[in-house]
Amino acid sequence: MPSSDSDDFESADEGHGSVDKKERKKRLSSSNYSDNTVESDQESKKSAGAIQKKIEEPKKKEEKQTDGWDDFDIDDNEAELKKDSQTNAANTAPSKKVENKPSDNQKANVIKKQSEAKNPIESTQDTGWDDFDDWGDDDTSKNDPSSKPQPTQQRQPEPDIKAVTDRLAEASNKSSGWGWGWGVDSLLSTATAGISTITNQVSQGISTVLETGIGAPDPEELARRAKDNESKPQPNRSEEPQKTENDPNAGDAFQLGSLLSGVTKFVESTGTKVIAGGLDTLETIGKKTMEVLQDGDPGLAKKRAMLGLDAGDKPVLSQVLREAKSRADEEDRVKEEKREAKEVHYENLFDDFEGLVHLEALEMLSRQVSMRIEERLRSAEPDKRQDIKETLQQVAELCEMPEEEDEEEESEDISKTEAFHERLLAATRDIGVKLQFQSLVKQYTEALDWLSADSATEKTVYKRAVSSLAQATALAVEVYHKTAEMLLVKPRRSTADESDALTQMTVVLTKHISELATLFTEKLNTLETENKDQVNIYITNIFLEAGNSSTYIQNAFQLALPILQIGAV
Amino acid sequence: MVDPIFDYQFRLILIGDSTVGKSSLLKYFTDGKFAELSDPTVGVDFFARIIEVQDGTRIKLQLWDTAGQERFRSITKSYYRNSVGALLVYDVCNRSSFEHIPLWMMEAKRHIEPHRPVFALVGCKIDLVGTDNKNGARREVSCEEARMFAEENGLHHVETSAKTGMNVEEAFVLVAQEVYNRIQTGEYKVEDGWDGIKTGFNRPNGMDFNLLEAETVQSTCC
Repeated sequence: MPSSDSDDFESADEGHGSVDKKERKKRLSSSNYSDNTVESDQESKKSAGAIQKKIEEPKKKEEKQTDGWDDFDIDDNEAELKKDSQTNAANTAPSKKVENKPSDNQKANVIKKQSEAKNPIESTQDTGWDDFDDWGDDDTSKNDPSSKPQPTQQRQPEPDIKAVTDRLAEASNKSSGWGWGWGVDSLLSTATAGISTITNQVSQGISTVLETGIGAPDPEELARRAKDNESKPQPNRSEEPQKTENDPNAGDAFQLGSLLSGVTKFVESTGTKVIAGGLDTLETIGKKTMEVLQDGDPGLAKKRAMLGLDAGDKPVLSQVLREAKSRADEEDRVKEEKREAKEVHYENLFDDFEGLVHLEALEMLSRQVSMRIEERLRSAEPDKRQDIKETLQQVAELCEMPEEEDEEEESEDISKTEAFHERLLAATRDIGVKLQFQSLVKQYTEALDWLSADSATEKTVYKRAVSSLAQATALAVEVYHKTAEMLLVKPRRSTADESDALTQMTVVLTKHISELATLFTEKLNTLETENKDQVNIYITNIFLEAGNSSTYIQNAFQLALPILQIGAV
Repeated sequence: MVDPIFDYQFRLILIGDSTVGKSSLLKYFTDGKFAELSDPTVGVDFFARIIEVQDGTRIKLQLWDTAGQERFRSITKSYYRNSVGALLVYDVCNRSSFEHIPLWMMEAKRHIEPHRPVFALVGCKIDLVGTDNKNGARREVSCEEARMFAEENGLHHVETSAKTGMNVEEAFVLVAQEVYNRIQTGEYKVEDGWDGIKTGFNRPNGMDFNLLEAETVQSTCC
């Protein structure tokens, strides 16, 4: 696919533009590459009428023009022709050119020539760099052939737009070679920026080599060599005009917008300089560069960001460091706050005491058992199904929480913790499995001991209250979980007793939670404090969390319901 | 509760025959203590410990210690589902406990599906094999055959002692690291409705960081 290859090459070549332009500026006293363009455009406008004539016989024009330089063969290939004339121009002394110009001046052809071959004009002005200019000329001649056939067709309606369309068409041609579609305009500029350095170096290198090889810049020798060089890249060039003609890009190209303003500059200034020098080399380099640039950076996102930074507000190191430090501080602070918050965060504490995971495990059991019950219902005979439903309903009713009962009078001779343990055991006496309440009793004992100690502030009491509530709840949920497991493996079920026992146990446990909350709020109230508001907030929160605890406990009880039910069906 | 901050929580489940030493292993791992006598586990018990994997990421291991007793089998199978790792535990001095390992593994695979957990084969009570141990039990499972089985099934293998603490830490770190590696490669993800892996809610940035990483990988050139 030589065409796409050359396209690739050209795209890579575009990057050459900026540097090349600078180079030119150095070389040319006439700073005004762009001025020239405008000028010549105007000139061509002025001579629109003449151009009209000229268009009728574009080829003749070329011939005529070249005829002036009889040293060289006339080639039908326009590009070739163009090149010839330019090369000639370069080879001839500037004085000659100047003489020549006026002589032909009556003819619009020359004006046209000027407008099209801005570069040659510039080149010819530059006398000191004859050999180099050959390359520069190749440059432009390479540029022109692709655009030239089109203008000759398009100029008729709107000759002044010609220059623009040319560039657009060319640019679009070139960009299409990337094969990335049109969404990459900004990418192009980035990529080319990187490539430009390499391309420039290479082209310079090549010129150097050739200069050295050529030796003394004898104009005639140079001309011959230039001619030789032309013939080499010819196949490439002859393809290009074709492509341009095939490409209805003039219309499309207008949509390209901002891409073109950037790309056009490259296109204008880069030219064939590099083509003639070593198309293959550059092609390889260009491709390789894109590979390297894109390596691990699809879409060049990172590099684009990087370059964007460079172009815009450049970060200052100290600024970066300052930001990093403040970020680190912020992180530390947040971390510390979280640690602090977690200490009194009920849900976290509940999780830490493994309440959450017991609840979750209980839920898993409950779900599995529910499925089994449903399965039994489905597989049962219709008349039996109703029985089962009724039984399930009865069990559920058994497990409804009783209305608030009067507090039983506690016997004075046993401790609070013992009384608590007694009540739990009494409630679950008939459940048929051996339940362990030691951990709950132990936790209660610890809480009571802590409360009886003197050294306490509002905050520590509050923390301890939340923690105690979370722990008691977690332990209670664990009891439900364990009970459910043991009931499931119990050989002989007694659903009524089990239901009653669990209901009673739930009553005891929720009462226990309120008891804990009351103890801690009482403790808070006994503290001498200036900050009454804060204490009130604490008290409110403690009762809130106590409510939370009761909800967890009753949820656990509800999750245990299917486990009770399945024993009856 | 030393530093409660962690980046991930992994749920690991310990399975294996009754009395092979699952609970003792966990007790040593979480408390650093060995209990000479302990009651058989009822249903499932829970342990937790925070460890660090190689890059310093803090992992909270939530450990589900299942009952090995046959009568709890129907219950324990409902606990497998949300595990990201499974430790297949056997007693090096109990041949049949090793022979049941394939059954345990199949059971775990079946119930953890569609998730694919990290498995580790853990031999316990290696201290009983000691050469100078007069009343020591005879080793019934050689290290080689256990290793061979592990290799065949793509498991890690380690022999431990909950009495001396030998390799106890390693057994759990091994699994945690492997799970973590699979998160890094994208094989495992934090998923809603699956509790095998959770992000620590103390590190909100952890989540964002992952998303960012994932995005970089996903983005393609036009």
